[in-house]
Amino acid sequence: MSVWEIVELARHPQRPYSLDYIRRLAPDFIELHGDRLSADDPALVGGIGTWHDRTTVFLGHQKGRSMKERVARNWGMMHPEGYRKALRLAHHAAKFGFPIVSLIDTPGAYPGAGAEERGIAAAIAVAIMDWFRIRVPIVAAVIGEGGSGGALGMGVADRVIMLENSIYSVASPEAAASIVWRDNSRKVEAAEQLQITSREILAMGVVEEVVAEPEGSASADYDAAAAALDEALDRQMKPLLEMHPTDLMQQRYDRFRYIDSLVHAEPHFGPKI
Amino acid sequence: MAILERHFESVAIQGGELPEILLPTNCPGCGIGLEQVELRAHNYVCANCGHHFRLGADVWIPLIADDGSWAERWADIRSHDLLNWTVPKRYQETVETLLDEGLNEAVRTGTCTLDGKPIWLATFDFGFVGGTLSIVAGERLARGMEQAASSRTPYVLISASGGARMQEGVLALMQLAKVNAAVGRLHESGVPFFSVLSDPTFGGTAASLALLGDINIAEPGASIGFTGPRVIKQATYADLPDGFQSAEFQLAHGQVDLVLPRTELRPLLAHLLEMYAT
Repeated sequence: MSVWEIVELARHPQRPYSLDYIRRLAPDFIELHGDRLSADDPALVGGIGTWHDRTTVFLGHQKGRSMKERVARNWGMMHPEGYRKALRLAHHAAKFGFPIVSLIDTPGAYPGAGAEERGIAAAIAVAIMDWFRIRVPIVAAVIGEGGSGGALGMGVADRVIMLENSIYSVASPEAAASIVWRDNSRKVEAAEQLQITSREILAMGVVEEVVAEPEGSASADYDAAAAALDEALDRQMKPLLEMHPTDLMQQRYDRFRYIDSLVHAEPHFGPKI
Repeated sequence: MAILERHFESVAIQGGELPEILLPTNCPGCGIGLEQVELRAHNYVCANCGHHFRLGADVWIPLIADDGSWAERWADIRSHDLLNWTVPKRYQETVETLLDEGLNEAVRTGTCTLDGKPIWLATFDFGFVGGTLSIVAGERLARGMEQAASSRTPYVLISASGGARMQEGVLALMQLAKVNAAVGRLHESGVPFFSVLSDPTFGGTAASLALLGDINIAEPGASIGFTGPRVIKQATYADLPDGFQSAEFQLAHGQVDLVLPRTELRPLLAHLLEMYAT
């Protein structure tokens, strides 16, 4: 399969979205809304559900299926209010000791004037910093598109895994092409150059695991895809539940502090994991 | 700034003599003919219209640090091509050319004094691949912040950056988390972090450390934002108003504490260091 075919699978309009997984993982899921400041961002869903007998906070980017829903959910591109809602729910989870599952599926944060006016850069910056202070276990999974800071704003976790046909990138292939060549039509080249497939990201040491998708990709069999994701998330979560919060916080710090050490052989470069 | 002038007229507007920079013959702000010596003495701010010229790390360091106090750290760590990046130019070649030109990565860091008070200083260098956040840049920032926290030394940051470096792929994106983890610890330590945003500060740099200062100080006219205006127009077909994403726009939208001319920066930082003495 070519890199671009994987990008198309990751963006497939029939690909299962966060709510398709969350409702299979926790059939009693209750969605909780709002950032408690000014708004509710429908590009990010969040709530509580019972998962493997534990009350768990679920968060996930949500794209829309119909055109109407896509518009309402802004194609899964979060505004500042979305990051504030996510952190509000993360603090909620920490208060009650609930573990957190975060599902990532976004082209990026919303590149619009309103988001800029309401402080999208600072909202992402604060989110990325504050995830390091949430004293409960967090497992994140990239289920489709892991686009840029918009994805990382939801992706600071103790373990990060990726579905086989998902991508994780510093910028969308279109944006990277626009930055490198000032020509976003060279997206295929950019996608190849950026190394964004799950296998490549795993090889760089940025994620812990790649979860195999059913025959014909996750789009072909939602139940099988959800079962595979469920098994992997639970296996990654279990050891975290045993850890003391202080150790968990140090481990989360070290995970990102030395995330690039695997690929960096330069002797002066410093401490390895 | 009348109060500052009264109390701190003794604080020079630059720590040492600034190196010469490449200048156009006329000011892009007002068209007046430019005089290198005069402009340099004025921190490369046009005396006529207040246009702030972009400065590299080689200028920012003597501007902030007391003469002879700068001790650079980790200057020997180098960026390497990790992704076999070949387009439009081999990344390894890009890095080596810039090193040959005397630049040393998009972030330089070290310790110095400012009006006699010890600080950690980190400054972006827009001339090095657009001041983009790379593994080396992130490493220098994180290490400096960790040491500032443990030695209880105030941290001063100068930003000028296009965001994360494409040529290092997702590992460049991960620098946002690596650096912000360290920013969090710096905040927990109670050490003050003063963040100066110069033109331009965008993308992953704005979405990580630059806007997380205890005090955010923007230079007049600096462009500051997450998504660049070209991409916003492409994505949303919106007409962007004059001054969109300017320092003054960010002040009006609550993201920065003050917009301050570069000629007043050093006296203000000296004053803050006294007020926030740890």
